[in-house]
Amino acid sequence: MTHRKRSFGSQSFSQNRRQSSSSGTQEDHEDSMFTQPSTSQVLRGLENLTPAQVDQKTSEVIQYLLVKDQKKIPVRRADLVKHVVKDYRNVYPEIMKRAARTFEQVFGLKLVEIDSKHHTYILINNLEAADRPPPVQCPANPKLGLLFVILGVTFMKGGVVRENVIWNTLKKLRVDSGEKHEEFGDVKRLVTEEFVRQRYLEYVRIPHTEPMEHEFRWGQRADMEVSKAKILEFMGQLHEQDPQSWTQQFREAQSSSSSQR
Amino acid sequence: MKKSRRNEEAPRQNGSTGRGRAGQRQNDEVQAGPEASRAGLPEESDDNDLGRRREIRSKYRDLINTVQQNREDMLSPATDKLTEVLEEANKLFKDVRRAREAALDAQLLVVATDLGKEKASQLFSEGSAFDPTAFAEHLLSFMGLNRLEDGDDDPQNGGGADGYLPRDAWHRLSRRAECCFRTAPSFHYMMGSFHAEPPAPKQKTERQRKAPSKEAKRIMPTQLKKMEESHQEATEKEVERILGYLKMYYEEDPTSPISYYEFVIDPNSFSRTVENIFHTSFLIRDGLARMYLDGDKLPCIAPVEEGDIEAASSSSRKQCIISISLKTWKELIDTFEIKDSIIQPPESQNE
Repeated sequence: MTHRKRSFGSQSFSQNRRQSSSSGTQEDHEDSMFTQPSTSQVLRGLENLTPAQVDQKTSEVIQYLLVKDQKKIPVRRADLVKHVVKDYRNVYPEIMKRAARTFEQVFGLKLVEIDSKHHTYILINNLEAADRPPPVQCPANPKLGLLFVILGVTFMKGGVVRENVIWNTLKKLRVDSGEKHEEFGDVKRLVTEEFVRQRYLEYVRIPHTEPMEHEFRWGQRADMEVSKAKILEFMGQLHEQDPQSWTQQFREAQSSSSSQR
Repeated sequence: MKKSRRNEEAPRQNGSTGRGRAGQRQNDEVQAGPEASRAGLPEESDDNDLGRRREIRSKYRDLINTVQQNREDMLSPATDKLTEVLEEANKLFKDVRRAREAALDAQLLVVATDLGKEKASQLFSEGSAFDPTAFAEHLLSFMGLNRLEDGDDDPQNGGGADGYLPRDAWHRLSRRAECCFRTAPSFHYMMGSFHAEPPAPKQKTERQRKAPSKEAKRIMPTQLKKMEESHQEATEKEVERILGYLKMYYEEDPTSPISYYEFVIDPNSFSRTVENIFHTSFLIRDGLARMYLDGDKLPCIAPVEEGDIEAASSSSRKQCIISISLKTWKELIDTFEIKDSIIQPPESQNE
């Protein structure tokens, strides 16, 4: 938090701080010090750097994002700039553009900004899941099943659901939020902290409730990563019903898949 | 004084505060909300008024409790309980004069509205309903729930008469649910990451033949040159001290075996535990103590009798390496329920 008085590399930003268009957030000290440079500034910055330097910096950003993605916790722009981009911040947009392209073309991943206010990024798979099972199967992560249950119920219930509904459903599946589960350990912590931090879920307090209650919603990562249509399809299989019979959910799934493109 | 103030009150009207003291709220006086219209009321004595107000407040609190406690009941589309509560509240409100009761009325309204909102959301009338309970049942079947016919077998995953879930139940579900997610595969370096910690201390406790032990003894003098005098003496002293503890513990009950882990582990300090293991290994190397496995294949340690020391040195020796990590140390403490250390830490040690 002592960066306030620092001058950035070759470009001085004092005159540009006035034209802050994208850095609306004041919560993040470090991020508010970073104003998105304009196109002309980027061009000027690129003139002072060799292509090899920019490529190198892009690679560093890519590696940083790939490793950070292991925990599935979103990456903040502030951290990215502070730890990796550093003196190259004046060409930040160019670096991000190249990184996104590399992700798409080399890794088949998509770099997505899930929070335009706080500028956080996640990586999702750009490729559609194949219809046939893959030739090499890595062991399935059981947490995915748990997440599916919660997201599925929330979706079928209209997108918002009181926490009790989820806890009761899980209890029927032998997952008790009050006890330590064989597979998941501390379920409450997993669901209300880890999944929330990963942005799969939102766990929001309902005002005026005594004792305090919360509701679950889909998180920003789930919105991008999870296919409502596929969830509905699986629901249909489980209930032996036509997915279209849930008309409202079906409509919601259709509109959401078009927005995910 | 109160009476005179009441005399000044204009008869209640619908709408906002149209009084002379524009908008200024005195202690307890408030205009009725737009809901209820009422004529001016006859004067009441102070006592009656207080009693009546207390009654009203108590009734409101009852209503609020009713709504909160019987939530599930009121949510069911079959009952009209919520409507009844609201009608009850309306009746009560006719007698409300002061802020305190009105505040309770507002609180009841909040709670009731909340319930109303949830009831409304239940009316997902278009299309099929979705019942989480049925969903859970279908999932259990999908995950391979074994519904036992008689409850004879031991329930494994907390099933009892309902059957038990197989171990891979959640894996099965995850495998199927994977396709709903467009998760980026996690990136890991193929060779694993570089582990920057030094390897855990490995202790050789016994030598197999005399020759290697001679080598070890030869190494010792070189180490001596590197170490300070005090270090070497301190180690010897420690080893002797530990031998003392071992003998003392053993003499207390020569028949009961001393668990090795209970002996060396210090539940308060991982580093001291490692030091204890280190020093104990000297005892074993010198033939002053022996380690063996008891009936449960757990390691035990015992001092060697005076007369046996010579005999032991010539018999075949076995060698083993003991390692311990912070995690293992904690697990051992939990498993063996070790509360205190047998080997007391030396007083001279500074933390």
